[in-house]
Order: sequence, then C-alpha cells, then structure tokens
Amino acid sequence: MTTREKFSAWGLLRHGLSRSPWERMWDHHDLAPSYDVVIVGGGVHGLATAYYLARNHSITNVAVVEKSYIGSGGSGRNTAIVRSNYLTPEGSRFYDRSVELYEGLADDLNFNVMFEQRGHMTLAHSDSSLRTMRWRAEVNKLEGIDSSVISPEDVKQLAPFLDITDHPRYPILGALWHPPGGIIRHDAVVWGYARAAAALGVHIHQETEVTGIDIAGGKVTGVQTSRGAIATGTVVNCTAGWASLIAAMADVTLPITTRPLQAAVTEPVKQFLHPVIVSGSLHTYVSQTSRGELVFGASVDPFASYSTRGSLEFATGLATHVLELMPGLANMRLLRQWAGLCDMTPDFGPVIGPTTTPGFYVDVGWGTYGFKAGPVAGESVADMIANGRPGELIAPFGLDRFEAGTLTAEKGAAAVGH
Amino acid sequence: MLVIVCPHCGPRNSDEFTYQGERKPRPEVSTTDAAEWRRYLYMKANQGGWATERWFHGSGCRRFLMLERHMSTNEIRSVSQVGETK
Amino acid sequence: MSGFRTPPQAGEVIDRSRTVDFEWDRQSYRGYEGDTIASALTAQGEMVFSRSFKYHRPRGVLTATYHDPNLMVQVGDDPNVRAGHRRIEPGMVVEPQNVWPTLDFDVKASNRLVGRFLSPGFYYKTFMSPRPLWPAYQKVLARFAAGGRVGPERRTERYDHRHAHPDVLVVGGGPAGMAAAIAAAESGASVILVEEEPYLGGHLRYGTAADREVCDELISRVRSIADLEVMTDSVVAGRYDHNWVAVVQRDVSGVSERLVKARVKTLVVAVGTLERPYVFKGNDLPGVMLSTAVRRLITLYGTSPGERAVVLTANPSGDAAVADLERVGVAIEAVLDARSGVTVLEAGGTGAVTSVLDSRGNRHDADLLVTATGWTSPTLLLNMAGDRPRYEPTSARFIPTDLPDDVLATGGIVGDGSVDELVAHGTATGTEAGRRALTLKATWQRLAPAGRSMDPPPQDPLDVPSLSHDPHPEMFRSSTHGFVDYSEDVSSKDLIAAAKEGYDSLELAKRYTTAGMGPVQGKVEAVNALAVHGEATGASLLETATTTWRPPYAPVRLGTLAGRRYEPVRHSPMQPWHETHGAKPLAAGQWIRPEHYGDPAEEVRAVRKGVGIIDVSPIGKIDLRGGDVPKLLEFVYVNKWSKLSIGKVRYGVMCGEDGVILDDGVTGRLAENHYMMSTTSGGAGTVWNWLDEWLQTSFPNWDVRVTAVTDGYASINVAGPRSRELVGRLTDIDLSPDAFPYMEVRTGTVADVADCFVWRIGFTGELSYEVHIPAGHGLEVWGALLDVGADLGVRPFGVEAQRILRLEKGHLIVGQDTDGLSQGFGMGVDWAIKLDKADFAGKPELVWQGEHGQYPHLVAIQTSEPELVPPEACQIIDPDGTIRGRITSSRLSPTLGRSICLGQVDADLDRPSQLLTIKLPNGTTTPARVMEHHAHFDPEGGRARG
Repeated sequence: MTTREKFSAWGLLRHGLSRSPWERMWDHHDLAPSYDVVIVGGGVHGLATAYYLARNHSITNVAVVEKSYIGSGGSGRNTAIVRSNYLTPEGSRFYDRSVELYEGLADDLNFNVMFEQRGHMTLAHSDSSLRTMRWRAEVNKLEGIDSSVISPEDVKQLAPFLDITDHPRYPILGALWHPPGGIIRHDAVVWGYARAAAALGVHIHQETEVTGIDIAGGKVTGVQTSRGAIATGTVVNCTAGWASLIAAMADVTLPITTRPLQAAVTEPVKQFLHPVIVSGSLHTYVSQTSRGELVFGASVDPFASYSTRGSLEFATGLATHVLELMPGLANMRLLRQWAGLCDMTPDFGPVIGPTTTPGFYVDVGWGTYGFKAGPVAGESVADMIANGRPGELIAPFGLDRFEAGTLTAEKGAAAVGH
Repeated sequence: MLVIVCPHCGPRNSDEFTYQGERKPRPEVSTTDAAEWRRYLYMKANQGGWATERWFHGSGCRRFLMLERHMSTNEIRSVSQVGETK
Repeated sequence: MSGFRTPPQAGEVIDRSRTVDFEWDRQSYRGYEGDTIASALTAQGEMVFSRSFKYHRPRGVLTATYHDPNLMVQVGDDPNVRAGHRRIEPGMVVEPQNVWPTLDFDVKASNRLVGRFLSPGFYYKTFMSPRPLWPAYQKVLARFAAGGRVGPERRTERYDHRHAHPDVLVVGGGPAGMAAAIAAAESGASVILVEEEPYLGGHLRYGTAADREVCDELISRVRSIADLEVMTDSVVAGRYDHNWVAVVQRDVSGVSERLVKARVKTLVVAVGTLERPYVFKGNDLPGVMLSTAVRRLITLYGTSPGERAVVLTANPSGDAAVADLERVGVAIEAVLDARSGVTVLEAGGTGAVTSVLDSRGNRHDADLLVTATGWTSPTLLLNMAGDRPRYEPTSARFIPTDLPDDVLATGGIVGDGSVDELVAHGTATGTEAGRRALTLKATWQRLAPAGRSMDPPPQDPLDVPSLSHDPHPEMFRSSTHGFVDYSEDVSSKDLIAAAKEGYDSLELAKRYTTAGMGPVQGKVEAVNALAVHGEATGASLLETATTTWRPPYAPVRLGTLAGRRYEPVRHSPMQPWHETHGAKPLAAGQWIRPEHYGDPAEEVRAVRKGVGIIDVSPIGKIDLRGGDVPKLLEFVYVNKWSKLSIGKVRYGVMCGEDGVILDDGVTGRLAENHYMMSTTSGGAGTVWNWLDEWLQTSFPNWDVRVTAVTDGYASINVAGPRSRELVGRLTDIDLSPDAFPYMEVRTGTVADVADCFVWRIGFTGELSYEVHIPAGHGLEVWGALLDVGADLGVRPFGVEAQRILRLEKGHLIVGQDTDGLSQGFGMGVDWAIKLDKADFAGKPELVWQGEHGQYPHLVAIQTSEPELVPPEACQIIDPDGTIRGRITSSRLSPTLGRSICLGQVDADLDRPSQLLTIKLPNGTTTPARVMEHHAHFDPEGGRARG
C-alpha cells in the first residue's frame, strides 16, 4: 500500500516553482497468481467497486482487469449527466445516494471531478408527458429529492434559448425541474477512483482482456486473461455493453441486448446555457460544458450492435430535434460524434447481484444510466461481496426478478430520460 | 443507415424496417412454466459475431424477415422471409 | 506590415478586377474576389488572427486551409468561421474571437506568465476546497470558454437535404481523384466527384506550369462527361455503414448549405494528405507557416506572407516553397535542408517571428519561418470503413491496410509518385471502382423480383498496382519543446508530463491534456501527438499504433444536418372546420386534435343533455377479411370472439406476451367474412403490426387479410340523448332501438355519402352513434350534422370534453390509467379475461397473475372536498409516506358538480368507501374514498342502452 501526494492549490504552486514532476496516478503491476476479487471492466463501476472494497471493507487484494485503457468504454463515452429524479421510489432512492456520493467525491478522492450542479430540466411536450413529469416529481418529493414541475415561463427564464412558442408538434407545456442534477467530468471520476483504489493497494491491469472464466464444481475458481491466468473465487462483471459475452464465459445468460448509444459535441461558443435540457419526446439531451461546447445525446440506436462507429441519421435526427428546441443554434457546428455500448434490459432497471454460478456476480444492465449510478453501484457491490448478500438498495434489481416476473417499474414510463 | 436487400422490394434503407432482434420459439402454452416462459420473454444470447435476427419491413412489403448480420461490422450476409428456408 | 500583394500569378484564383470591401476587427479592409479572409488580411500585412484558448497567445496563419487551428473568426453572427477557407464577401463583418478586450491587447494573455502552474489537468488537482467556493470556481472556469457567440433568435438561413445514389463517389479532386472519376465514368458508372476547395486540381493548382497543364487537361475531361457530377466547395463529412456517405455542399444556390446523403456502391478515397506542423520552441508564433500555406498564399492568392524567410525543408514541397518565395521577391535568409540533418531549434520573437535558431547554432533574422517536415494522412474515411491504417516509416506517414470491397483508395493517401503515376493509379482505381459498382448494381437488380436481370460487367477484377513510398525523414519534434495541439494550447512538455503521471496510453494522455479535443480536433497534429507520446513512454508507438479519426471530417452546421424544418403532423379531414371555429389544438402523438372549442364544460353538458359531435378520426381502424378472422380475434384479444354474429360489435382488450395491456377497442362484424377492428389512436400502428406479426410468424396458413384503413375513414361520434334524432335525419339506416340496438354495427348512407358504417357504442356513456365516412366526405358530413342539428342544439366537442365524459363513466384509457407494468387483471376489465380459452397472447402471464393476486387495482375515487381536483399523478400514501397508489385521471365533473378520479391502488385498498390519503403537489394531503363502481355517473349504463 502506498500513500499518494495530496492534490491542492499549494501542490500546484510547489510543482510549478520547482518544475518537479507529479507522482504516478496508478502503477503497473504484473498479474498476481491470485486475488480475492477480480473485477472485469475498468470503468467507473469496476473502479468504484474496487475502491469501496478497499476503503469500506479493507479488501485490498483486488484486481481490476480492463481490456483497453481505464474508462475506455461507456465511462468515457457518456454525456456525464448526474441526476436522481427517477420514477420509482427504489430508483430515486438508489440514484439519490449516487448524487450524494458524487457531491462528496472530490473531497473523498482528493481529485476534482468537477461536478457542476447546474440543474436538470426535462421538458414536457404533451399532457401525457406532463403527467409523467408530475408522477416523477411527486415520487421524488416523497423520497426527499428536490424535484418539481415548472411552467413554460419558468423554463424560459432558466434557459432563454429555448423557444417556448411556435411548436405545433412539440409545444413546451412545462418541465420537470431538478436543481441538484448536473454535469461532471466523466474521465475525472474514472481517474479519481483509479488513483484512490491504487493507493489502497488495488491492482489495475490495463490492456488485459478476459478470455475465459474457470469454473470447477459449479463455482468460479479463476479467470483467464490475455496476460495469463488468475486464481480467484469471486468475479464481478462490470462490462456494460459486453456483459453478455463475459457472463457467457460463466454459463450465465442475461436479459440484455447491447445497443449503441450515440453522442456528439459541437465547437465551443460563449456560455449561454446553464442547466441540462432533456426532451424525452424528441429523444434529445443537451448541456453546455464549461469549455463552451454543447454535448448532445439521444436514445439508443434502433438495432442491437457491438459497433461504435455511429451513424449519420443520429446526427441529422439530433440536429433536427435540437433546432426544434433552440432554433438559434442553426449555425453552430457539430464537431465530433461517437458511440458507446449500452446493456439494455427489458425493464430499464439494472441487473446487480449474484447469479446462478456461485462466485460470479454481475453489476450490469445499466443501459443508458450507468455512469450516474457508478458510485452507489460500486459501494453496493462492494458491500454485497463483503457481506455475502445484496443490501437493501440493490435488492430490487436482482437477476432472479425476470424469472419471478417482478420487473422494476421504471418500465412504467420508459422514455429517454437523461 | 444500413441497406437491407429485401427479397420482395430490393435494396432499401434500414429505416423502412423495424428491428425485432433475436427471437425464441414460443413455448407450448398448455405445458409451459414460468422459468421457460420468461426465458422466452426476456433472456437474450446477445452474442458477438454473426447473429440471426428478425426485422419487419413495415414501410415496404410489411413482411417479417430473418437476417444474418455481423454484430461488430453490421455486414448483412443473408435476408429471407420468415418461415422460408434459405 | 510584412505581407503584400505579389504581381499576378499564373495559377491564381483571385479576380483582381473585382475588389471586395469588408471589415476586420472594426476596421475596413479591401481584398479581391476569390480571396479567403486569411489571404486578404495577409495581403494587408495582418499577422495575428486569434488568441489561443488557454494562454491567449497571439496566433497567425499556419496551414491557410479549413483545418488551420489558428484561423477561427466570428463572421456576423456566425461563430468559429474558418478564415483560411471562407471567401470574403462585400460588407462582411469579421471579428476575432477569444480576445478581451482587443486582439492586440489581451488581458488574459497574463495566463502565459502563470503557465508553469497551469500544468495539464491542473483543475483536477485544485478548486476542491473549501467546497462552498466550488460554484465560484466554476464561474471562473466558464469564462475560459473559447469560440464565438450565438443568439437565441430563429435563424433565417435555409438548409436542404438531397438523396443521391451514385455508382461511384470519389472524394478529392486532385490528379488521382479526377483520373479515378473519369475512369469510373468511362466504365459506365454514374459518378460524383467531391472537392473541398472551390476549384478542382488539388496540389497541382499551386504546382509547376507543367502541373497546371495536367490539371487543366483533367478538369476539361471531367467537365465533358455528362454522368459525372462535380461538387466543389463541398466536403465529405463521413462514410457510414454500407457506404452511406454524407457530403456537405456549400456552393449551392438558394440555400446556405445542402447535405447530400449518398448511397454509394463504391467509394474512392483520394483525399491526399495534409501537411503537418513541426514541434519546436516558438512554433506557434505568427510567421511560422507550413510550406503548403506559403505556396497557396503566393500562387493561388498572390499574397506574400513575409519579407525575409527561413525555410526548413525535408521534401519537395519545402523546395517548391523556396522557389515560390524567390519568385515573388522574398529574401531567403536560409534554407535548412532537413535531409542533410539540420533542423530548427527555436523561432524567436514576441508576438511574431523575428529570428530563427537552427541546430547548427546559427541565428537568422527572419519574419517568416516555413516548415516542410512531413504529411498527415486524413484517415477518417478509412477508419469509418473499418480500416486500421498503419505507419509506413519510409514515407513517415500512415497508409491504408485493409479496406472493404466497397472502398478503394488512390493518390497521396496511398503513396507517392510523379503526377503521371498518380494519374495512372487513379485511372486504374476508378476503372476497378466502376466495375465493382456495376457488379453490385447487377446483383441487386437480380435480387429484386420486380427488377430486370442484367448481366454483370464482363471484366475480371483489375489488380490496381500500388504506389511507391518516397523516403522522408521522420520529423515530429525538434530537441526543443513546442505546441503539439494549437487549439488547446497543449505542448509536447504537457504530453510528456501526462505520460509520467500515469496517463500512459495515448488515449488517456489525450483525454487528460485535451490534445485533439479542440475545434480542429488536432487533425493535422495527430501524428506529432503520437510521436511525442511515444517518446515519453519509451514505446515506439508509431509502429504499433493506428490513427483513429472520428466523424465529421469537418464540423457541420446543425442547420445543414437538420435540413428543412419538417416535423410532420396528422390532421383529420375536418381540420379546416376546426381551424376556423376556434378549436384549441392539442398534440396527441402525431395527431393535432381539437382540445376544445372554448368551453369544455359546456361541451360536456351539451352531450349529457342534448347532442354533441366529436371528430374521432384518429381512432385506429383495421379492416379484417377472411374465414379465419375469428381465430385471429380469439388469439389477440383476451376475451371470446368465436360467436360474434353479423351486425354485432364487441369490446376487447389485447395484452402482450408479458400480459401487459397493449390496447383496447371494439371490433364489429360487418359481413360473413368481414370485420372492422378499432384501436386507440396511439395504438393504431402497433396493433396493425401485431396482427401481421402473428399471422406471418405463427399462423401463416390462416385465411386473414389485414388492411389498415385509419386514414380511409373520417370518424364522427354523435353522442347524447338526441343523437338518434340527429343521425336519423341523415341516414337510410333504421336507427330504432329494436332495429339497431346497443353494441351493434350497420352499414349504409349518411348525408348522401354511401359506404359508411355506423356503430352504436358509448365511450361517453350516452346514446351514441360512431359514424365512419369515406375520408373524402368527412368534412361535408361534419357540416351536414351541424346544419341539420341546429334546432337540436348540436355542438362540437373536443378531446377534453370526451375525457371528462369517459371519466364520469369510469372508462379507462390504456397508457394513462394503465402503465407499462399493468397486466390484464385489476384494471377493470377482469370480466373480459377468459382463461378457459386454450391459448391467446399473454395467457400464461395472466394465469399466473390471477394466481398470485398481488397487483394494483384501478378504482374510482372521490375526494372529500368536492371542489378539489388532485392533479393527475398525485400519489396516494400511508401516514408514514409509503406510496400506496396514484391518481391516474382526474377532472371536475360538470355533470356531478364535483371532482372525480380514477386511480391505481394496492389491492388491499380496493374496497368501497375505503379512505385514502392523497398527497398534493403543494405538500399537503387531502382525504378521499374509493367508490363502489368505476362509473361516477349512471353506473347502471341505462343511458347508453336507451
């Protein structure tokens, strides 16, 4: 175990004056012959799980195995929106804990994850979506979450670029307003967790691909990787879009379909948009970063794929919808588009918990909500592994719910809702 | 936008079609149990490589089609009507 | 002032007979037609065009192209315009961006002084405490946002889209591209040739006299071929799966820009190469330029960018720059030939280059430093085609490795050669592209049964020879440090520091330092970043790495991507009447419907007391014919259908295979083998597909023909105690209660319109007739009903009144009173579910649902305070706040003079008179009770049956 130099303004000053290099964020290690826990997937879920295993439960003989670089999957491809205004009490409660962890994360990790709580606004374009907004607001309030339905005039005041007139098809009738929601620097979350976990003794193995999972006597006994074999009795699958492929190695079938989720960013312009804007009916969400770029997202692609190349119809559809909301932006330019892979479940709820193969745990099925849930999922999975059973927050999201027919109720109002 | 060469309509843009994905045979209703039925409803192989899947040509001939598509490249190597052997 | 206009140049693209006056930084300037903003300003001696993002360093011309990281300006209200590409226009107002208060004196330039403290990612290491100050820090960081400005007003520019289906599309109008386009066209293919600049020719344009001769010859051949469409000042933004190619066409009349969506059979990538900058101390000073920038400025625009030049050359382009500079009288202070090992250590000067220090220790006075140190391959289209371009050390650049059959590459991105060799390679590539395209075309035509068979072209595949690779020194960074990414102010030092901190894969280092994240995406600098990072990590990254570019190739306006504003809506045939009679529009899915005509409560009263008519055309209507229709109905509905006799109508509920309610509606039997099914408005498409799906995938031998006829009929519900009287005045159908009882259907003539069908049903709970008229006659029948019913007090009613009327009757709306988890039981339709049927969609789930019994119940609810209408979605709670249900529908009932609701509650609360607590949005609660019947009004249903 090593201790890390504390980051601070003084540190910047000191390094600036002495021009001395900073110490490494995380180290390279050889594969150890065995680990107590092997986490597959070096994204925010995997790294957070490793961090909380080490910090909260003193389980430090842990490996995070990542086939590319850390944060190369969904963690580095999402639109970095954080919120907790979900429809169901169990969903709201869960994500509220995540927001709470995010609020304290910079202090906790001594790494500025740049969480900007700019407020999160979900527009209602029809009376039925207004009803759903109110449903969410009322459930949220009962969970103590700051969430309410606001008028078109309030919408205009919070986001003056929104056109609240002249929409025959998509009038702005109001919005769900959620002040604690906002945006964050997603890479910083990954790096902050990686640095903190590494400092507690976790091994982070990048460029290490899992090629098989060893099972003997019906239980997990080890992991085969592109760099060699590891013995372990506990494997956690945190691989999002690749979840089914890893689960298949442990003879586990999941209720998951992999769908690309595309996003795009524009060139920067001077600040004009403070809150995060979401339109479920138009399958669009927009925020402006502190660098001045607009970051856009949409709903998942219309068909399953493991391709992250993206499509033109995403870009054209997105532009159409953004201009329907903010017609002043026609001469802003789309700079870059990309895609991530989402692990979609039938009820839009995650699959988190043990599986039919003892020792093989899953923290998957996050679909388009994975990044928001990173901290609380990590905390909960760590807790589950340490205590041997899922805690209260994640109990509703077990794999067995599909066979039992007790699906989560987010399906009740499934629409894009970032 | 993919091109799907519909056996009835010829090459068409994929936005004329609705994706239905992998499909399992419907269990026999009189004998099924919850485990089998819900595997039919919810569980997916979600495999990489070549996969067989169902699409619906809703804006064309309205036929249900079976495609073989590569899940990483999106290349399509066969299209046939549901129920017709290739 | 160091720039000036040269004497006329042989290849210039400016028209010196036409001057153009424009404004830059609040002062007037004059250029020539054909000038870019950058060339016109350079000709007037301007050197500084922008301030950099982080340190606000002055920046000047680097590449003089669209991709120049230093030439982003604001033109009028258009932000981030590329001054190296945009042509000047009379009256154009051009301003610098990212300066405060002025371009010359920029306060934030003081950031340079603290640069050593602004190490890469410095913000991740600070601003954390004290936490309450974080919002204030955010505001400071936001001030750094680069770029221009936009406004909220709807823009007036117009944009357009076009679909194209060329056999071959060639990207790049240089010698290889033009030759490929010609050859492909001559092989019989239809061809589009796309060139980023406003003119064809590529590097031949600013080459030798012989080059220009070849150029002119190729251009005249291109122009002479009819089936070869040329798009200049147009850029291929991306190549998507299955050769779906996006072209942004900038030089079209009538619109600002047009997006061409081309489905291409063979794509030919002839994009050439981009010149890459060199990393050394002071490499971002104004006056440091690439050789191609200087050659363009001189030869195309007759503009000399300096007076005393030092040229660092590693290739013929640098040599050509020396010749060009000499030709226009620029003093050559030194030619540093990198092929002999000499290089540049430093460009000296503050604000602009004043001297150059070479690696032999000589310092040269100069105001211009020209570098020619190598080429960057723009690999976007290769990447998008699945290729992993590899580094070729001989020529020190990336080349294609493995392209799919539908993509070919030619010209500079493939290799080097004389102009003749490039043309020959382009010709062979174009011929092969044409052959492949025509082969695919023939295959498609054969596959389509309606198509005509066409023999594939006879030629065998042509083996396109490869181009050679001219030796080129591997030059990325000198022994000094300089900027790698200009837009983001990322230096080679920053990249190395990042690697040492642990960001030791290139992707991590780029994300951490933001190299490659700026407005030009680090495209020209990509290879330098790779090389510098390789230095830091000790890995020879170049040999194992690939280069991945993400679309679009050049940024594309949102307006161009969106095209015309076009969000289609659906209107009923009666829309003209609604519009002229004060209907308030309501968006309901794609439909725009009348919500009301002024006073929904009055509309309700009219229906309860007299008669009203409502336009219900959006109701889904599906015509079913064949001997096996009853089997289909038995399967898709939860209730029984086998004994429905002719003339009868029945209500039915459909569930998905998960048992969740999918839709509801009535279906009537019009004749022996002819049924008409109705669906909810929103469910019309879903149900239509659902029927076809079962018929094709499970019951292919059933005799059923399904036709969606929603748009074929205008539908009017005539409701109220006097509806019989009203409809009776217009129809030949016998409406007497015995001849046409409740829940039956008749066909006949209404208002002299034949082939109508009428069903007697009662969503509103009143005596009512739903009249379905061939759509073209909807408006006249609507008018006739109002005319002949004037004495009966008939009035139109809208969706709002209908919602109140149905709520008074407790009729559920699928998707409002039910949700995505509502299975069949509990929603008030238990009576319809017939588990004794052998099979129907969703049956197993309903069997199990009935067994476990734990599901929400839909109940009618009334508040204790009759005036209080709890908004829909209010939660029903226990005293401890536990959620026990919610209000799904609520209105003030004009009929009962009190508030009425439907709601879902936990099963144990479904007892008449059960007390409930409703939490209101304002935080207070209000008591309510469960009613005995779903219907708040006329629970016996006598009014509808009357």
